[in-house]
This record gives sequence, structure tokens and C-alpha cells, in this order.
Amino acid sequence: MRTLGYGFRQGIKNIGQNRLFSLAAIGTIATCLFLLGIFYALISNFQNMVYNAESNVGITVFFDEGTTQKQIDWIKEKVLACKTVEKVVYISAEEAWDAFQKEMYSKDDKIEDTFGGDNPLKDSASFEVYLSDVSNQESIIHFIKKLDGVRKVNGSNTMASSLTNFNLLITYVSVSIIVLLLMVSVFLISTAVATGIRVRKDEISIMRYIGATDLFIKIPFMVEGILIGLIGAILPLVLLWFLYGKMVEFILTHFEVLSRWLTFVNTAEEFKTLIPLSLMVGVGIGFVGSAMSVRKHLREIA
Amino acid sequence: MRQENELIRLEHVNVAYPTGTEALKDINLSVQKGEFIFVVGSSGSGKSTFIKTLLGEVQAASGKLLVAKHNLSKMRRKELPYYRRTLGVVFQEFRLLDDRNVFENVALAQRVVGVSNEKIRRNVLQMLEMVGLGDRRRAFPKELSGGEQQRVAIARAMVNRPSILLADEPTGNLDPNNSWEIMGLLEEMNQLGTTVIVVTHNNEIVDKLKKRVITLNKGEIINDEVQGGYIQ
Repeated sequence: MRTLGYGFRQGIKNIGQNRLFSLAAIGTIATCLFLLGIFYALISNFQNMVYNAESNVGITVFFDEGTTQKQIDWIKEKVLACKTVEKVVYISAEEAWDAFQKEMYSKDDKIEDTFGGDNPLKDSASFEVYLSDVSNQESIIHFIKKLDGVRKVNGSNTMASSLTNFNLLITYVSVSIIVLLLMVSVFLISTAVATGIRVRKDEISIMRYIGATDLFIKIPFMVEGILIGLIGAILPLVLLWFLYGKMVEFILTHFEVLSRWLTFVNTAEEFKTLIPLSLMVGVGIGFVGSAMSVRKHLREIA
Repeated sequence: MRQENELIRLEHVNVAYPTGTEALKDINLSVQKGEFIFVVGSSGSGKSTFIKTLLGEVQAASGKLLVAKHNLSKMRRKELPYYRRTLGVVFQEFRLLDDRNVFENVALAQRVVGVSNEKIRRNVLQMLEMVGLGDRRRAFPKELSGGEQQRVAIARAMVNRPSILLADEPTGNLDPNNSWEIMGLLEEMNQLGTTVIVVTHNNEIVDKLKKRVITLNKGEIINDEVQGGYIQ
């Protein structure tokens, strides 16, 4: 405990004495974690929008002519048994005809007269099947098509795959940029600590002569790295906390037309994961950067 | 024949530089508890290598080295700090930390071994009184004279009560008055029971103090004399 306390005080002192490099390292980590925060917000919000969109992307199942209610119930049971199926909604022929009329004709059109009051879609009762994961759509369609009493199955594969692919693209790009920035951060922390070690070469040498263990010598440098990482993580979190709400507000007021699709994750929910993630990454790169440097440079000192 | 009070024993010790040049050749030596020894010799005679070998900084190529119950020939790297805690070391250039005051420079030796703050305060103040710097504990090294800096270095070396004090040219950077004061302090430490080994080329001090003198030349002990003198 005493060694830890001493190491902690010396670590803080090291940051102060090695101001320039410490600031550069803090700045890089802060930039990196700021970007991480932005990408995280982008990905999580996009996933949220995809999830909402997915809930609106359905498979339409039409039945053979003359299919009985018993058969329809049986089909529903089979479809609901599939893993990613979230819900199945029955659309009767009448509901389908009403919806079609609303979509295609104005109130003034005497459309009912044209068909003499008959329902031209009388064999168009259907199920709308909603999935929790659109990437499974194809296999579900394949399964439903094989069921007895099913005439036709319409999917929305293009939209489903575009959403999934776009989400994947954003994730890959974000992860690549973040990994690159993390590597730069580790390098900068390790350089800051290496400079600290070089500046304190005499001190380390004296400590070795008076019987300091490697751990006693290492602790202040490890504390220095971890603190740099921690400060570098806290700064962007504070900034992002204020910016996130403002950005959401700005987008919703300036792009009102898109508000149907833009469903944002709220600030508290967003930071519930982002705070521990950023802190862990900050402390992690601080630890790895200083450990690498300490391991490499301390051996050079007698 | 090994004696009961023997603190250091070197048998056929050879030390070579990485270039292959032999720095110490077939060194045989026995030092008893409480001895005061001068190690003398011209430049390149192997004096510094001798001290470095005792510090565990340089590994012997062959031979047996027993120091304060530690077998240096078989010592692993992680055991070295614990061995060094049995030694105190003083350098010609003092090697104090400029960013810490006198108290903290001496306290560092105690912090390294995990002594409590309360004990550190008591031991350091006692040690500073002993070296005559009780009233300068808040001063920084740059505010002290060379003699005072060397006193701080001696206090740092002695605060953990080591059994052996190694001093590498402790008067090399001091004027004659300060040199004599430092030698007086080292004698005091010796009288308290610490074995003191001083590497020096100050013939006046060696001749006057009449202690055991080991003379090295080209890495070999050419003379080992109780109450000896400086051989040119």
C-alpha cells in the first residue's frame, strides 16, 4: 500500500514534470476517444434506426384460393414457430381492398361502382410477417413457401440487405479508424513514458543502487500512463455529453422531413455503454503504452 | 579458512569487459565485520570494477563471491534489490535528486524498502543529525556545498543501517577540509559497526588514517596490508 501510495504521488508528479509529452498524449487519446464516441453514437443510433426499420419491413404471405380458416391458423402457427419471427398480422381480403382504395384513389372517385360492390381482392387475404433480424429473411421466405396453402410470398430483400450491408460498412470503417487511432495513442503514451524514463535515468539508477525492486520503479510510470489514459477518456466524454443532445436537437429541427426515420437513442441510454467503454479503452491504452515502454527502457538502466 | 565474522569472501574472482579485456584477475579476498578498508590503485587498475562487482552491477566471469550471506555468483536478477539493501553506497558525484529536498533524498532509501512514514521521519531526522545536517533538511541539493551534499549521500546510504558501506572516491570532488570531514564521518559509521570500503586515490588520507589498504594494479591485488599506506 505504501509503495502504491508513493507510486501514485510520483506518477502525478511525472505528468507535471513531463508536461509537453503528457499533454500530447492526452490530446491524442482524447481525440481518439472523441472519435470513438462519435462513431459509437453513429453506430448505435444507426442500429436503433435499422431496428425500427426492420420492425416495419415485412414478408407478405398470400394463400391458395379457398384456403380455410383452419389452414390459415395452421400456417400462422408454423410461421410463428420460426426463431426470428417477431409477429404475424392477418390482413383480411376486405382490409386489403380498403387499404388499396385509400392508397390508389381519392374519396371522390366512385371506385365501388366500377366493381359493382364486389371485392376484386377477395383472394388476397394475407399475413404480414415481421422479423427481429432482417438478414434471415431469405431462409424464412424459403420455409414459408413450402407450407401447404401458401400461394405466394413477397419479401423485401433489397431493403433488408441494404440496411444490413450499410450497417456493416459503417461498423467496418469505424473500427478501422478507431484501431488506427488507438495504435497512435499507444505509441504516444509509450513515447511520453519513455521520455520520462530517460529524464529520470539518474533517479532510476540511484533507486536501483539503494535496493528498489523493479515493481517500485515501474509503478510511477504505470500510474503516469494510466492517468494520461484516464484524463484522455474523461475529456471527450464530457464534451460528447454536451454535444450529443445538441446534435440530436439540431438534426430533428433542421431535418424535420426525415424525422419519421430518424429515431435517436436518448443521451442517458447512449452514455450507459459509452462511459465504461471509453474509460476502459483510455485506461487500457495507458496501461499497455506505459507497460511497453517500461519493459523496453528500464532494462537499459543498470 | 572461513572465519565467523567474515562478511565478504572472494575466491579466484575474474571479471572481464564485454571486449574481452580482463578487468579483475584472480582476486582472493576476505573482509571481516567492522573492518575499514581502502582500495587504491592508479587509473585503470580495476578499482571501479571492484566496487561494481560488489554492487552486483558487473557479473564475475568466474570465481566465488560471498557478500553478507549472498552468493553473488548464483544471484538472479530479481534477488539483486534485496541484496543491495544490505549495502550503502556513496559516489564521487554525490548523485542526489535535485528536485527533492535533503529530507526526501534520504527518505527515498527508506521508502524503497517500505518503511512507514512515521518511522521514516524519525530515522531520517536522526540520520541527518548524525551527519550534522539536522537544520538543513528542507534545503535542496543545489543550495548545499559539496561537503554537505556528500553528507546527505552518506545519510542516504546509512539510513537503512546496512552492514557494508561502499564509497567510490567519496572525496574526489571535495576540497581538503571537506575531504577530512567526510573521512571523519565514514570513520564514525565504521565505529558504529558498519564495514566500510573506500575506493580512493587520495594518498594523504590513506597514509594518515593507517587502515587496511588493498592495492590493485592492472586488475590484480598487488598488496594487501593492515595499517598500510598508499603505494604509487
